[in-house]
Amino acid sequence: MNQAVLNFLPARAVTWLQSKNNSNKTHPAAKNLSLAEINKEYVIEDVVAADKEIVNFLFTLGCFKGQTVTVISLLSENYVIAIKDARYSIDADLARAVLLL
Amino acid sequence: MKIALAGNPNSGKTTLFNAITGKIEHVGNWAGVTVSKKEGIIKKTVNPSDTRITAVDLPGAYSMSPFSSEETITRDFIKNEKLDVIVNIVDATSLNRSLFFTTQLLALGIPVVVALNKSDLTKKKKTTINIANLSAQLGCPVVETIAANSSHNGLETLISKVIEVNGQPQTAPFSDQGVDLKNPQSVEYFDTQRFEFVKDLVGKVENRQIKSNAQTNQDIADRFLAHKWLGLPIFALVMWSVFSISQTHLGPILADTLVGWIDGLYALVEGLLGDQVSPVLSALLLDGIIGGVGAVVGFLPLIMVLFFLLALLEDSGYMARVAVVMDRFFKKVGLSGKSIIPMVIGTGCAIPGVMATRTIQNERQRRTTAMLTPFMPCGAKLPVIALFAGVFFNDAAWVGTAMYFTGIAIIIFGALMVVRITGEKNARTFFILELPEYRFPSIKRAIVSTLARAKAFIIKAGTIILLCNAAVQIMQTFNWQLQVVAEGAEQTSILAGIATPFAFVLIPLGFGVWQLAAAAITGFIAKENVVGTLAVVYGITNFIDTEELALVAGGSDVAGIMGLSSVAALAYLMFNLFTPPCFAAIGAMNAELEDKKWLWGGIAFQFGMGYVVAFITYQAGSYITTGALGQGFVYGLIACLALFGALIYCVNQGERKAQQTLALYTA
Repeated sequence: MNQAVLNFLPARAVTWLQSKNNSNKTHPAAKNLSLAEINKEYVIEDVVAADKEIVNFLFTLGCFKGQTVTVISLLSENYVIAIKDARYSIDADLARAVLLL
Repeated sequence: MKIALAGNPNSGKTTLFNAITGKIEHVGNWAGVTVSKKEGIIKKTVNPSDTRITAVDLPGAYSMSPFSSEETITRDFIKNEKLDVIVNIVDATSLNRSLFFTTQLLALGIPVVVALNKSDLTKKKKTTINIANLSAQLGCPVVETIAANSSHNGLETLISKVIEVNGQPQTAPFSDQGVDLKNPQSVEYFDTQRFEFVKDLVGKVENRQIKSNAQTNQDIADRFLAHKWLGLPIFALVMWSVFSISQTHLGPILADTLVGWIDGLYALVEGLLGDQVSPVLSALLLDGIIGGVGAVVGFLPLIMVLFFLLALLEDSGYMARVAVVMDRFFKKVGLSGKSIIPMVIGTGCAIPGVMATRTIQNERQRRTTAMLTPFMPCGAKLPVIALFAGVFFNDAAWVGTAMYFTGIAIIIFGALMVVRITGEKNARTFFILELPEYRFPSIKRAIVSTLARAKAFIIKAGTIILLCNAAVQIMQTFNWQLQVVAEGAEQTSILAGIATPFAFVLIPLGFGVWQLAAAAITGFIAKENVVGTLAVVYGITNFIDTEELALVAGGSDVAGIMGLSSVAALAYLMFNLFTPPCFAAIGAMNAELEDKKWLWGGIAFQFGMGYVVAFITYQAGSYITTGALGQGFVYGLIACLALFGALIYCVNQGERKAQQTLALYTA
């Protein structure tokens, strides 16, 4: 991973990313949920956040690599998303953590 | 025989629990209403057999892998308790997610019965589920239920299945043999497989006509109710309706009737006692008990109407949308959008409000919300507000409204301070909340929940408040030598002796009188006590009817009885509202904060806030109305400056910590 990019990430995210990624694949350019079109089904490429708990939690809802997700609407700066037959509202920070293929 | 009700949040566990046990536990239409386990015996109408079954209602969980504290309770309970059967409540509208947890429960070796709840909603969505096939695939009985219905709800069938499978072995449809629970990668691998298994299974048993990610009417409703700007006036209108119906329209009409009955009782008892009874006893009975408790019970209708409307609101699914609307504002002050739910509930009672903070994942946001929720004027503070608005402000509507807005302002200020004190100003937090489906709120459930609250209120009035008022009456009647206090020598009574030192501290706030200090102190036991105690110490039995107050005062200015100016009265009202809540709410805070430093910090903040707000109100108000500052200005100012100094010191410490963390990240 590019050193300049690492400098701007929180330390925990950096170590976590490093431990997870043996390859030199980078994510910043990847499309994330906050850029998704409304009403279009996407496949999740990965969920990346410094906070491991939130990644685990999203996992239990069925929001993880390989699963599909649809943005239903944008409400009050929150994203309404449909995963596994249920609706959730997530904020922009969390939407950016969900990377799409 | 013992069974547990387990399932995803908002799948209807508590509704089902209430329906099979006849209990009245609190339900609401959002994820995470139940925060601790509850037990009950299943009633005869759904369990005609001779087997006695204890049901345990657990907080919702999405999986056995713990994330929030509720899920930990569920997981520990299921693993440690000797359960005979697990009833897994599955939301029929989201099988793809719900069955993940089901497959985990099936692997525990305890017989499972699946209650396919909200089965009426699937029909509405033109989704059909092949029950027989689902049951075969899972290897356990599946019963369609509609727990919210009072009949044809499938609950009897459910319980008969529970009895049937009791003692039977349970096989797991999905095997995760070889999983290494200590290795996250291994767990993730098997859980991914588990989701795949569920997806396959759902594909076989479910026939969906409308895809779950298609836009629905509900989504259209969301666009208005949770609209970026429209959402705010809608929320304001909803809350305004709740308060105006309960406090200015329906509530007072009912309250007047009830007060009439209490007056009748007073007169009846007075007549029965006659002149032969000792004046001490008659004063205790009439002024202490009927007067004091009556002053509190008279407000019951207002509180019941408020609880009824809040129950409707909670049941509708609207609260989750409010959380979405408020998130971006609350985030700015370091709270979560979910913090609004405890605060709205807190307008009814701070205790369930504080408990509702448990759905907030971030620890600091959760604790800050628990610490600040009691600043929302609760139902028990309504009598106090109504009394002061009635006596000093001619029942002006602005008094109540101003109290709520002051509460909100204090919460915002408090949140801004806490996020700085903890040094987490730059910390990132995430917001995620399940959006439940809207539903027409059940009037029956709201009535049941209101009656439960009313019962608790009456019990409180009949025990704690009654005892307090009797004690206040006795302490007021006797002096330290245990002689009856002579007329005109009230300041020699025990009560005056205890309250005077406190009254001294309150002089800069405009109400340094022992009677008022005593009332404020009893307010910590229960806030309604403020009214009860004032009724006792001033010998006024009817606080809602200001005409009677005028009568007592001999037709002169009613405020004269208490010897307070309007400004001092407002300061006293604010002091009572914005100091620490009652002991029961402090207990709830203690349970949720889980940290003594936070608890004492919170209480100190509440005390300081009450003092400073009352000081500013009294002194500034006096200056505006009379052109001169009130009594004890300098002493009060010193105290307030000291409090501010302490706050600034804490904030500075926190800022330093924040800078260190920031430096650490960027280094």
